[in-house]
Formats: sequence, structure tokens, C-alpha cells
Amino acid sequence: MSETGATRTTADTGRVVSGSLGRWLTIAGGVLFWGWLLARWLNNWLLPAGVGVPPGESFLDPAAVAPISDSLAFAVEYLPQLADAAWLTVVLTVVSIALGFVLAVPVSVARVYGTYSSTVSLAFTELIRGTPLLAQLFVLYYALNLSTLFRGLPDGGVLPSAVVYVAIIGFTINSVAYQAEYIRSALLSVDREQLTAARAIGLSQRQGIRHVVLPQALRFAIPGWSNELVYLIKYSSLAAFITVPELFNVARSIAADNFAYTGIFALVAVLYLGLVISASKLMAGVERRVAIPGLGSTTSQ
Amino acid sequence: MSDHDPLLAVESVSKRYGDERVLNDVSFTMDRGDVTVMMGPSGSGKSTLLRCVNRLTDVDSGEIRLGDHRVTDPGIDVDALRRDVGMVFQDINLFTHLTALKNVTLGLREVRGFSKDDAREAATEQLERVGLGDQLDSYPGELSGGQKQRVGIARALAMEPDLLLFDEPTSALDPELVGEVTAVMADLAAGGMTMLVVTHEKGFAREAATDALFLDAGSIAERGPPAQLFENPENERTAEFLDRVSTVSGEP
Ligand SMILES: Nc1ncnc2c1ncn2[C@@H]1O[C@H](COP(=O)(O)OP(=O)(O)OP(=O)(O)O)[C@@H](O)[C@H]1O
Ligand SMILES: [Mg+2]
Repeated sequence: MSETGATRTTADTGRVVSGSLGRWLTIAGGVLFWGWLLARWLNNWLLPAGVGVPPGESFLDPAAVAPISDSLAFAVEYLPQLADAAWLTVVLTVVSIALGFVLAVPVSVARVYGTYSSTVSLAFTELIRGTPLLAQLFVLYYALNLSTLFRGLPDGGVLPSAVVYVAIIGFTINSVAYQAEYIRSALLSVDREQLTAARAIGLSQRQGIRHVVLPQALRFAIPGWSNELVYLIKYSSLAAFITVPELFNVARSIAADNFAYTGIFALVAVLYLGLVISASKLMAGVERRVAIPGLGSTTSQ
Repeated sequence: MSDHDPLLAVESVSKRYGDERVLNDVSFTMDRGDVTVMMGPSGSGKSTLLRCVNRLTDVDSGEIRLGDHRVTDPGIDVDALRRDVGMVFQDINLFTHLTALKNVTLGLREVRGFSKDDAREAATEQLERVGLGDQLDSYPGELSGGQKQRVGIARALAMEPDLLLFDEPTSALDPELVGEVTAVMADLAAGGMTMLVVTHEKGFAREAATDALFLDAGSIAERGPPAQLFENPENERTAEFLDRVSTVSGEP
């Protein structure tokens, strides 16, 4: 008894140590990645001209690190422009997923609980999910010429230009459809009797959905939602095709200049990977934070 | 029988699902303070009858009245009706994402319009009444079956209903947890609460019920004081059924 106890303790300690080492590495990597990105963005848009370095130029002198490694010098030279472009990638993703969420909730509720509105909601999601995202962006940009709507707005620097708004509209519409699907299946996985119990104490259907069904469904939807966030980060690169200067677009034009396609896109991959890993970690954190004992486990009451 | 209006009047209620006659010309009344237990084989329509009383299900024909509510009128405000009828479920159906306290305050806040503090106070009182004053902040997933069902009772009580419906409140519980729930129910009965209880707990029926109904294939086969119904059932089906229930629950 005491012997097995001792063995188990050692094994546990080993796991704890390696687990916390991994955690520390992740945290250190995250702090480095986001610290550097935020420093770039602050430098570009918030520091007065003359303080810091000009946008697109690196904090370090590439020539200074060249003796250490050529690849390092290459990274130091080009990463700043890519970091600046990553700003738009983050804006496109975050704004679209947030707006998309706000709209996806009523769309999915209509789909599950509506009658007439259910058909409308179904038609919308099928149309959007059944056509390519790039085609949707082209319709908004070329056919509807939406960017003229946003011409008067100030742009440049931290503020996005007119065409970014078009991209946000496109991604939002697309994301509404996908998020509504995730939330719909989450709504359906809430035990029907939960709404019955709400109705039995006199709540209206609307109150029951709002206070009982949705809070549970939205928790169930978090894994799907994380998926959508990860997809959107990568799909935001399609904005390049309607001239938005986001990460992929900027990389493409740099590479067209210097022909260092492999190097540039390797850097781009690292940046996307950093964003995607951050997003998954963030959503896992959210999921843990809002978790409720006994909710979502297979053994319910 | 009596010259005053009963609290609950069920008159010639019939209900079918497809070809199946689930309720067949059911009539009975309950006065304020009555505790009626309803027994009957699985599928005899007990749950359906309860659900007709708070309009979770619509009747096909017949009439139900509860106080001033004409329950079976198509145009009535069902939410107002349900404020006056509480229901306790076999599967308990606590709101899984809410603590015991919040399970009780939700209806107080949203339906009865209580302020946050008033709701908290009233809910705490109800949970203390069912012996759960020390579990206010526990989630359903952290409570035992018996504790959950007592929260379910407190949730219904908090609405201060005229009538409480119980649909087999103890049949999903482990045998050793049944007693804590029937004890709370017996307390309520002694306190004058009007209760319509589907249960096969003969002990509870003997101790607390004023009346017992035996439902068979959608009809009331027999009605009487619990002791008489259990000791000398007139109906053969009743006798047979009660025999079986006794063997299961180990009663003489
Ligand atoms: N929503 C429904 N749709 C179709 N049939 C139903 C529905 N609800 C109940 N029934 C049927 O009506 C009959 C009576 O059901 P009910 O649930 O009222 O019986 P019960 O007496 O409560 O039985 P149990 O003891 O098993 O709970 C059953 O045959 C059941 O299959
Ligand atoms: Mg039943």
C-alpha cells in the first residue's frame, strides 16, 4: 500500500513538472509573440513620428544579426512589415466573429423555434454555406461595389480603409451562417424538458429560451465556435483578392519583389500559426472559465 | 358533494394521441387543502392528465377549471395559469446551469417581478423550508438526487401556487433517498398545500393523502380514501395493480 503510494507520487510529480514546463514554454512564447506584435502596432500608430522606428522597419538592424545567421537576418528584415499587415488580419477576424456571433444567435433561435422565420433562416444558411466565400466577397466588392459606401470614412494607419469594411461585411455574413449552425446543434442538444420546466413556472417561451436554453447551448457551442475562429483567421487571407492589405496580401507582394517566396511564406506560416494557437488557447480558457459542474458531461441528472 | 366551488374541477376530459385514447372521460374535483394521490399502471395517462392541468398539453374535449382560470379555453393566458400551478417532475429537470438558489430565483425575478434582494431572500427561505439552506450555491451536478428533487419542490413552491402537481417525484431516485423527499411532501400536505400527486409510495399516500385515485387505461377506475382503496379495493384491476406495487416496494 505504502509502496504503491510512493511510486504514484513520484510519477505524479514527474507529470506535474513536465506539464508545468510545457505551460511555461507556452506562456513565454505567447508573451513574446504578442509583446512583439503589440510593440509593432504601438510603434506604428501611437508613438509620435520621430519616436521609435518608422513603420515597416525593424527594431534591430538586420545587418547586426547577419553574422549570427542569414535566416535570422532575413526574418528581422521582413517580419516588421508582416506584423503590420497582421493587424488587419486580426481586425478582420475579431470584428467578423463578434458581429457574426451577435447575429448568429437570433438566426439559430429562429431556425430552431421559429415557423416562418425558420425557413428564412434555413434558406440563408444554406445559401451562404453552399457558395464559396471568395464568390461572396466578389459579389460584395465587384458586383455591388459596396466599397463606395465607405469612401468618406477616414482611413490609413490604425483605421481600416473602405475595402476592409467590405471584407468585414463579407466575413460577418459568412460567419453568421456557420456560427448559426454550431449554435443550432447546441440548442438541439439542450434537454427539451429544460424548456418545459421553465414554462411550468410561468416563463414565456422567449424568457425560457433566453434564461434557460441559450445559456446552456452557448456553452455547448464553444468548441464549434473555437473551430470557426480558427477557420476565420485563415480564411481572412481571401480578403487579399479584394485588395485588402492583410497578412497574406502583403506577403505576396513582398515575395513578388524579392522572389524569396519560401522564406516569406515560412514567416507568414509562423505568424498564422501564432494567431491560431493563441485563438485555441483563448477559447479553451473561456470554456474552462464558464464551465459549470455537471453541465455538458454525459451523465446529466 | 359540496355546495362551494372546488379549487380544481376536471370534467369529462378526453385526450388521444393518434389512435390511442390516453384519457377517456375523466372527471374529478379537488378542494383547497386536498391531497390527492393518483396511481395506475405505466401508460395509463397519469402524466398526460397532470400536463393537461397546467396546459403543457391540450385536451381534446372536456373542461378543466382551476380557481378563476378556465384552463381548457383556447384563448387563456397560459403563463398566468402556470403562475398558479407548480409542477415537480419525475426527471427533476432543474436548470442545469444555475445554482440551487438561482433555480428558485429565476421564476421570482422573471415571472413575479421580484427585486434581486427580495428574490434572494424568498428563495433562501424556500430552500431552508426543504432543508437545503446550506446548499444555496451548489449546482445541480453537485447535489444528490434527493437534494435535487427538494430544490425542484422549492422552485415550484416559490411561485406560491394554489396547486402543486407532482409527477412521480421519487421514482427516479435511489430507494434510500425517497424518504427525504416524501418527508418534505408530507410537511407541505400537513401545512395545507393542495397537492395532486402521481406516486406509488403507499406510505406517503396513507400518511398524507386525503384521497386516492386509480387510473386505468385513461379512466378513473376507482376513487376513495387511501386506506379503503389499499385495504379493500373494489375494482379487480386496482387490487391486482396494488399487489404488484407492494411486492416491488416490499410493503405488506
Ligand atoms: N407527446 C406524446 N405523443 C404521443 N403519445 C404520447 C405522448 N405523451 C404520451 N403519449 C402516450 O400516451 C400514453 C399515456 O402516457 P402517460 O405518459 O400519460 O402515461 P403515464 O401513466 O404517465 O405512464 P408512466 O407511469 O410510464 O409515466 C402512453 O401510451 C404514451 O405513449
Ligand atoms: Mg408518467
